[in-house]
Amino acid sequence: MNGALNDQSSIYLQIARMIEDDILRGIYREEEQVPSTNELARVLCINPATAGKGVNLLVDEGILYKRRGIGMFVAPGAEQQVKQKRRDAFYAAYVRPMVREAAGLGLSERDLLEMVEQATREEENA
Amino acid sequence: MSVLKASGICKAYGKKQVLTDLELELHEGHIYGLVGRNGAGKTTLLGVLTAQVPWQAGTVTLDGEPVWENRAALDKLCLSRELSATLLGTGANTLRVTDYLRAASIYYPGWDAAYAERLLREFGMEGQRKTRIHGLSKGMMSMVTIVIALASRAPFTFLDEPVAGLDVVAREQFYRLLLEDHMESGRTFVVSTHILEEAGSVFERVIVLDEGRILEDAVTEELVEQFRLVTGHEEDVTAVCAGLTVLGTERLGRRLACTVRGTPDALAALDGAPVDASPLSLQKVFVALCGHGEGGIR
Repeated sequence: MNGALNDQSSIYLQIARMIEDDILRGIYREEEQVPSTNELARVLCINPATAGKGVNLLVDEGILYKRRGIGMFVAPGAEQQVKQKRRDAFYAAYVRPMVREAAGLGLSERDLLEMVEQATREEENA
Repeated sequence: MSVLKASGICKAYGKKQVLTDLELELHEGHIYGLVGRNGAGKTTLLGVLTAQVPWQAGTVTLDGEPVWENRAALDKLCLSRELSATLLGTGANTLRVTDYLRAASIYYPGWDAAYAERLLREFGMEGQRKTRIHGLSKGMMSMVTIVIALASRAPFTFLDEPVAGLDVVAREQFYRLLLEDHMESGRTFVVSTHILEEAGSVFERVIVLDEGRILEDAVTEELVEQFRLVTGHEEDVTAVCAGLTVLGTERLGRRLACTVRGTPDALAALDGAPVDASPLSLQKVFVALCGHGEGGIR
């Protein structure tokens, strides 16, 4: 397995995430072509069927689209869509568990908000 | 699309039953990983599928035609066996690398001599053509079997432990060459291996052989996704694992770790429970399936 991948989640999900990251970083801009399934498979040393599954996930979500006979392209509005998807995921993966953990520790909503404000200031000064 | 099918295969060596009522279908265009513990019957199964080893009951067919002593079917199959430094009855294996390549060029109708030469160069073995097999390192013997398998251009190609003895760089090189050729030609490969860390992402499907039977035959990711390692307070873990199949447990004080298997719906119960649930690697899934309770589970 390529060093860019780990075994903490399914490889096709990692492929999809990798392409999303590259869209957010401006490596692939809207209406630009992304690597083919075979190119991904070759570079990452993974099965092309798995790479294809990751790409198709993004096609199903409308982040990529297919131009017949040419390849896969970044859809218009894809960057905004990926950002929104990441925000939703952030809420589910971090904010909700944080609130749950805070309740378990006996912190009030106010305590939690104060901690978030404090952390924000610390990050700003770091 | 061609299909190689084994049905009701029984194979014993003397009194030792190796394969029992085995059913397997291999479809053209995929890379299969064949995994199983030592003595699970992997090499025997590969020998049966390619009609190199006789069996007692059952059939092996390619697109409906029996493969046994069927030249047209055998032309489409290649099993590249592990080489050995010794030959039965004659002592040291004094055949040279070129002798093996020449034999393969006669045996396999699709033999691609130019490709074999390119592969020898890729593996840095162009200077070893005249070397006798017993003078090769274990890694170089593996490289010879890989060269033969790939250059055979057989539509169904079987490799028995091709990465045994290869260092991690050569293993990655092998998997890259395999994927490259698979993408160009759409050939089917069946690769048996014990080294699963880097192989899981190469195999589209994985076949788990255990005690002579097919335990699993699934899309690699779909199999791996069914497993979780659940850790936490024993009461919480016991409660949350009630609806799941527990394959292994390990206790550390009140901390309990369970390797579990379940459907996506059943695994969804782990979300929000006061336990940690982490995915398993293919290697850990294999241990959970074939370890038969013997250690190995974190």
